[in-house]
Amino acid sequence: MKQYYDFKIEKIKGLSQEEIDSRKKNLELFYKNGFPNKKDEDWKFSDLNKILSNNFNNISNNDYLFKEKNFKQIHEFEHNFISLFNGQIISSDFSYEEKNKISLKVFNYKNEKNLDKKNSLNLLNHALASGGFSLEISKNYKLKKPIVIYNNFSNSLNETIVNYKNSIIINENSELNLINYIDNSSKENFMVNTIENIKMRKNSSLNNILINNSKCNGYFYKYTKNDLEKNSNLKNYLILSGLKFNKLDIEINLNEKDSKSSVFSALNLVKNEHQEIKTRINHNAPHCHSYQKVKKVLNNESKGVYQGKIFVKNIAQKTDAYQLSGALILDDAAEFDAKPELEIYADDVKCSHGSSSGSVDLNSIHYLKSRGIPEREAYELLINGFLSEILEKMQESELKNFLIKKLERQINEH
Amino acid sequence: MKAEDLKNNKEYKYGFTTEIENIKSPKGLSEETVKFISNIKKEPKWMLEWRLKAFNRLKVLKEPNWQKPKYPKINYQDLYYYSAPKSASEKPKSLDEIDPKILETYKKLGIPLDEQKRLNGIAVDAVFDSVSVATTFKDELTKKGIIFCSISEAIQKYPELVKKYLGSVIPLSDHYFATLNSAVFTDGSFVYIPPNTKCPMELSTYFRINASETGQFERTLIIADKGSYVSYLEGCTAPMRDENQLHAANVELIALDDAEIKYSTVQNWYPGDEKGVGGIYNFVTKRGACRGKNSKISWTQVETGSAITWKYPSCILQGDNSVGEFYSIAITNNFQKADTGTKMIHLGKNTKSKIISKGISAGNADNMYRGLVEIKNKAINSRNYTQCDSLLMGNKCGAHTIPYIKNGNATSTIEHEATTTKINEEQLYYCNQRGLDQEEAVSLIVNGFCKEVLQQLPMEFAVEAQKLVAISLEGSVG
Amino acid sequence: MLNIKNLEATIDNKLILKGFNLNIKPGEVHAIMGPNGSGKSTLANVLSGKSGYEIKGEIKYNGKSLSELSTEERAQKGIFLAFQYPLEIPGVNTNIFLRTSLNSVRKANGEKELDTLAFLKLIKEKSSELGIDEKFLSRQLNVGFSGGEKKKNEILQMKLLQPKLSILDETDSGLDIDALKIVAQGVNSYKNKDNAFLIITHYQRLLDYIKPDFVHVLSNGKIVKTGKAELGVQLEKTGYTNLV
Repeated sequence: MKQYYDFKIEKIKGLSQEEIDSRKKNLELFYKNGFPNKKDEDWKFSDLNKILSNNFNNISNNDYLFKEKNFKQIHEFEHNFISLFNGQIISSDFSYEEKNKISLKVFNYKNEKNLDKKNSLNLLNHALASGGFSLEISKNYKLKKPIVIYNNFSNSLNETIVNYKNSIIINENSELNLINYIDNSSKENFMVNTIENIKMRKNSSLNNILINNSKCNGYFYKYTKNDLEKNSNLKNYLILSGLKFNKLDIEINLNEKDSKSSVFSALNLVKNEHQEIKTRINHNAPHCHSYQKVKKVLNNESKGVYQGKIFVKNIAQKTDAYQLSGALILDDAAEFDAKPELEIYADDVKCSHGSSSGSVDLNSIHYLKSRGIPEREAYELLINGFLSEILEKMQESELKNFLIKKLERQINEH
Repeated sequence: MKAEDLKNNKEYKYGFTTEIENIKSPKGLSEETVKFISNIKKEPKWMLEWRLKAFNRLKVLKEPNWQKPKYPKINYQDLYYYSAPKSASEKPKSLDEIDPKILETYKKLGIPLDEQKRLNGIAVDAVFDSVSVATTFKDELTKKGIIFCSISEAIQKYPELVKKYLGSVIPLSDHYFATLNSAVFTDGSFVYIPPNTKCPMELSTYFRINASETGQFERTLIIADKGSYVSYLEGCTAPMRDENQLHAANVELIALDDAEIKYSTVQNWYPGDEKGVGGIYNFVTKRGACRGKNSKISWTQVETGSAITWKYPSCILQGDNSVGEFYSIAITNNFQKADTGTKMIHLGKNTKSKIISKGISAGNADNMYRGLVEIKNKAINSRNYTQCDSLLMGNKCGAHTIPYIKNGNATSTIEHEATTTKINEEQLYYCNQRGLDQEEAVSLIVNGFCKEVLQQLPMEFAVEAQKLVAISLEGSVG
Repeated sequence: MLNIKNLEATIDNKLILKGFNLNIKPGEVHAIMGPNGSGKSTLANVLSGKSGYEIKGEIKYNGKSLSELSTEERAQKGIFLAFQYPLEIPGVNTNIFLRTSLNSVRKANGEKELDTLAFLKLIKEKSSELGIDEKFLSRQLNVGFSGGEKKKNEILQMKLLQPKLSILDETDSGLDIDALKIVAQGVNSYKNKDNAFLIITHYQRLLDYIKPDFVHVLSNGKIVKTGKAELGVQLEKTGYTNLV
């Protein structure tokens, strides 16, 4: 296979010799493995090496300079924001909040040495990352408005990869609604490789929402590691239709009693879009809950993948874990792959998973038609209902309405 | 070649100047061993060539290591690949010499004393020899044109059938253990059901299982011709003392148009003791091809034995409207490990498959369901339903479920459901309150949990399987 | 309004309706009674245009053949089927479903579509008539509804869509006496000289509350006896065995 990438650490400025050495080691290891392929169990259904080699000629990295500062803001609800261009902080605004409750810094790479031999994209990130942010919310603070992170990408990224790391800490008794917003409609091929570490202290709560706004030619990979302390509550909403390729690799560690996590995802894929959601929920402590509902509608030649693992440690008694993945396949050329996995070492648990894939239920269509609804609308209604179900339990708010509208648009535009 | 022929000849001579009972093949895995086995079985040249092809392939294959249960490295050069039954002096001479625990189990299973003796190889082996037992029914079967004999006999008598179908479902170079089997298999069963024939009785390997020490590389081939039906039982409902560590059998099923094969297994090999010492590695390759339209293959397995069970009886649904089924109970206790499940590959249109798997884990055991359901793009209007339930007893054991699901078209449906729970304490309490002791209660509840699978077994098998379920879990609740 | 002549219906190579005849005029209430397996539900499915049936014979609705019409076109022209087992459709909100349905029917009949406010006003009115809690309208369509709630929801839809011909397929099954009364009231309050009802039922129970003009006994795919309301009462006493 042709070599379709060329990465150089020298392109990243302002590194100490020690950092350069450490990054070089990571890059060497990456070169040994290359981009992950289907022989790698974690990439069994998404052969990234093949996908990239078919779509890129020579991916390189850069120390990204940016001139753009303008971006389209969301008007539907009031919010704080952090604006990133190619992963670098450009501006931020927390004017709805009390001072000194929110800390935002550029991510500090000084102490990052991690050599993750298993995940070659993490190796690449360790080698090439720059920019990114560290966000910390003080104790006992409930944000009045959500924070939107505008993930902007400049229009000069063709054949390049953007790597960065983020860190988010939510301290005791604090609450945050976080919206990761992607809005890019450039026709250029580029790649984004992100690592995010989220720490949730006691009794904290986070709604972590990932939403995409336009058709984007980018190839995205994001690895998120979430560590939850006692009685914390993490909810993930993944509404990312429109990306050419996307893989979210979510690890959630329920490390202390009574912590809760959920993953809700709704994707409507068209053309040859390919998205994978991979989760690993580690129940490391007793009395924790996890809930997952991952839904996909697959049109044309698209491919939807779900790999979800629930791991229950032997001390994690009274675990309650649930996982559901469903796909509506609307086209013979579309494909759905799933690997819902349970690995359980404690006996007093309630764990279950279900997966179903197939076409739209024709009896439901008949029922709707018998009430006078034309066939096309009946399908739309069912697809909409199928996907929007993931938002059902969310508290009523402007934000929820915004998400419902975005999801509807993602469905109806196709 | 000349030199080799000479060598063959020498070995061949050697083989026939000695009493068979005393023969052992050269130690270790080599071309000589393969030739030795082929010679001693008086195989035709094509068969030897086939074996050698497998052997050559084996040299470049590696043992798989993705499975969950790890085992100590097997030294393939330290095994005997052919050994006749041990001489009488090595066998227990009376029931007194047999592990009392096994005798206790027999008693619970209700196996009569004579049977116990036979199972332990005390009675005369010849009576229990596969060929002679088969002959008891031979007349009836021959009348219908059914062939039921050992695979060795089939190679001699029906070479065309064997040539056509052997390795057609499990190719020579499929994976390490299957290839190993192809090179060195010693015996096994052969079944051919002619067109439009319903086999009048259950065919079984039950009777000839005492060929134990030579049985580690069994090969079974079952062909159901157009419009025929056969139900085949494999296994033994009493635990076998067997010193072979590795069992790597290959089972191939072929169902042509409108044919149906039902294959039931009750596996109760020696699982090792409570500390996890000893026990069999059961690494078996079982695969069926629904080659014809409207054909059906149904696997039912009750796996309670072996230290490690590692197998995936599978169906390749090639013919339009063909049906594959897999019903499984896997019980692991003490230090037993099981990594089992199935593959359903849908190639033909309107194909259907159903998977019901019940895993029960107790003690320090690990129980894994691993399965693949793949509906290919052309297999329109196909369906799969999978249900995997696991039951855990205690928090030192593990239950795992890894289904791989691939749905490749818009008219096909795949449904998968899985649950993991502990044994219901209220049910236990209810049973206790009605006077059942803990073990009886567990047995009752577990049998209920397994009911859907037990129902699939032929009557007399089902009753024994139920008892086996209870016995396997003894001492798991305290 | 409805004229069925020599209707034959086959599904999966099995002939279910074997020369079925029925005429319904506006303002009439017809009951079809029959034992299990006599073809009652097949009749309902065939009239609503469910796919999978092979049809012979003639079904005319207001003088025009039904066979060319799709399920939704029949609904838009005023044929309503209250299902025996109303489907649960997860994710689809009941209110949104009702509004889409109503507006589809209105649009097809050249009427103006209702905006959200007007719709909500209307639905509030109709649901309170049936004693349906408003909360229930914001739930997913039939998901987790009790048997009674599902059937009430069907009647609510009927009152909302204002059909000309309403077919009630075993609407009484699974209803307690209170729910049965509410359902019957719903039907009676809607009944007028321009619309007609076809009530398919196994028992007389519902007919105690909705008085039929005609009772037909369906057996083995054919009507074997037709009479007035008393026939139903008689059947309740003697059972079907004497007739079929």
